[in-house]
Amino acid sequence: MTKYWHLFLISFKHSWSNKANLSGQLVFLFILLFIYNRLWVVIAADSSTSNLNQTFIWYLLFAEMIILSNPKIDRVLFDDIRSGTMAYYINKPISFFFMRYIEAVGNMSVSFLILGGFGTPITILFTGHPPFEWWQFPIIFTMCYISSCINIIMYTAVGMCSLWLASIRTLAMAIERLAFTLGGAIFPLSIYPEWFINIAQWTPFYSFYYLTVKLVYDFSFANLFQAICLNTFWILLIGFFINIAYHKLTKRINVYGG
Amino acid sequence: MSNIIEVNQLTKKFKIQKNASSLRGLFKPEYKNVTAVDKISFNIKKGERVAFIGPNGAGKSTTLKMLSSILYPTSGTAIVNNLVPWENRHQLAYHIGTVFGQRSQLWYNLPIQDSFALIGKIYNSENISFKRRLSKLVNLFEIRDLLSHPTRSLSLGQRMRCEIVASLLHKPQLLFLDEPTIGLDVTAKEIIRNLIKKQALEEETTLLLTSHDTDDMEKVCERVIIINKGKIIFNDSITSLRDSYLNKKYIEVTTDSGEKFRKEINTKKTSAKKAIDELVQKYHVTDLTIENPPMEEIIKEIYSRD
Repeated sequence: MTKYWHLFLISFKHSWSNKANLSGQLVFLFILLFIYNRLWVVIAADSSTSNLNQTFIWYLLFAEMIILSNPKIDRVLFDDIRSGTMAYYINKPISFFFMRYIEAVGNMSVSFLILGGFGTPITILFTGHPPFEWWQFPIIFTMCYISSCINIIMYTAVGMCSLWLASIRTLAMAIERLAFTLGGAIFPLSIYPEWFINIAQWTPFYSFYYLTVKLVYDFSFANLFQAICLNTFWILLIGFFINIAYHKLTKRINVYGG
Repeated sequence: MSNIIEVNQLTKKFKIQKNASSLRGLFKPEYKNVTAVDKISFNIKKGERVAFIGPNGAGKSTTLKMLSSILYPTSGTAIVNNLVPWENRHQLAYHIGTVFGQRSQLWYNLPIQDSFALIGKIYNSENISFKRRLSKLVNLFEIRDLLSHPTRSLSLGQRMRCEIVASLLHKPQLLFLDEPTIGLDVTAKEIIRNLIKKQALEEETTLLLTSHDTDDMEKVCERVIIINKGKIIFNDSITSLRDSYLNKKYIEVTTDSGEKFRKEINTKKTSAKKAIDELVQKYHVTDLTIENPPMEEIIKEIYSRD
């Protein structure tokens, strides 16, 4: 496993040096938090509910940390599979798929930490005390980090579809849009109608994003347990698909060489 | 010396869809078999430097891919370092190095030294021995100044030197080089050839080099296997090939008026020096090139003598 750990470290180190990309993410996060903070402040002033922005801006911060830190592994895999590059890694003593996954986790980790490190004080500045207790912060932070890792698994599955599709751009875009709506990446699903939540519950986006980030304003060990169980179920299901695709891919490489 | 590669009746056929671009092909696909490698047999001894040459589509890369465990053959057998490549991929990985001229094994955005460190970890190299080995290869291939540069910023020649170092880090006994000089200019080609040969002689590494450039084999290898349309048509020493088929050279001169003159010489009868002297006396020469006959011509010659 030391080779994968080393791969993670190098990928992590390399992502630190990509300052332009990180700055872009931070600017985008700041604008998003600022606009939505103003929005919720205005809505709260018009309604009898107070502290709407406190709940939802913290929710938005953690949801965006997951979304924005996504390293787009699907595009990397598309290039590797379509160009036949993958074949040239097959005779190396390393799992090609795991190698790409760990690289992506290394990239994501830097973005996730930077976004968290920058977003947390900004959100405190906008809203004051968070809707959770501070001792819950590391648990929520870790759960969101795990969700980001799972997010990469989902996009790995999208990348694997390059085996059958000439372009995965439409599929990746559809997944992104579904994550925003069915996963509640901007607004928590609790503000949507009941029928919509019932549909969302049957998708992986519900547990990857909403259930995990919901801990921000509704922390309980029951909710934490539910998020862990559902995420595990979806990892196994998506992992099963990736495994089938990977075997089909290696079989094709064995026959056609890439 | 014992054989490090033993190939016997190795065959690879690809199934290609004939009507892939038509609507009919979507519902009723029709296939045809294309034989890329057709029952080839040869052996390579430990420490030997062998060129595997032929025109485009001859089956060179397919053979190399089978021997380096990327591809499964359709039939036949191959033993590489006492292992069947496609059945012992993981074990064989530690004994072979591969360089594919048109593919990079280095991380595009990482500095070269990070790519090397990663490759060292991938092959489970111990820290001390890895550093010693890296230092030796860095000196040999003269790439110390390039170590902090990311792969993307290197020229093709510099990248190729780094690719070869990367493939030698785990000290393989056997090095497969697939078109290592492709796309390089004359100077860079010469440097790469010299370095490959120097390293192979120093560490007694067995080389199997594919190319369609006859200069690659002449400068680096001692034996040549020529493959055409999937079949081996020549398997002998470079000296034998040179005596029989590489005795022709083309000298091309450009005059100060921009005109070009091409002269064919038989090196057995006329020395290149004499031919050049004649041309220089006859024209105001501003540029001069000497070329070997192209691969297609050598193959044509081999067939015509058969």
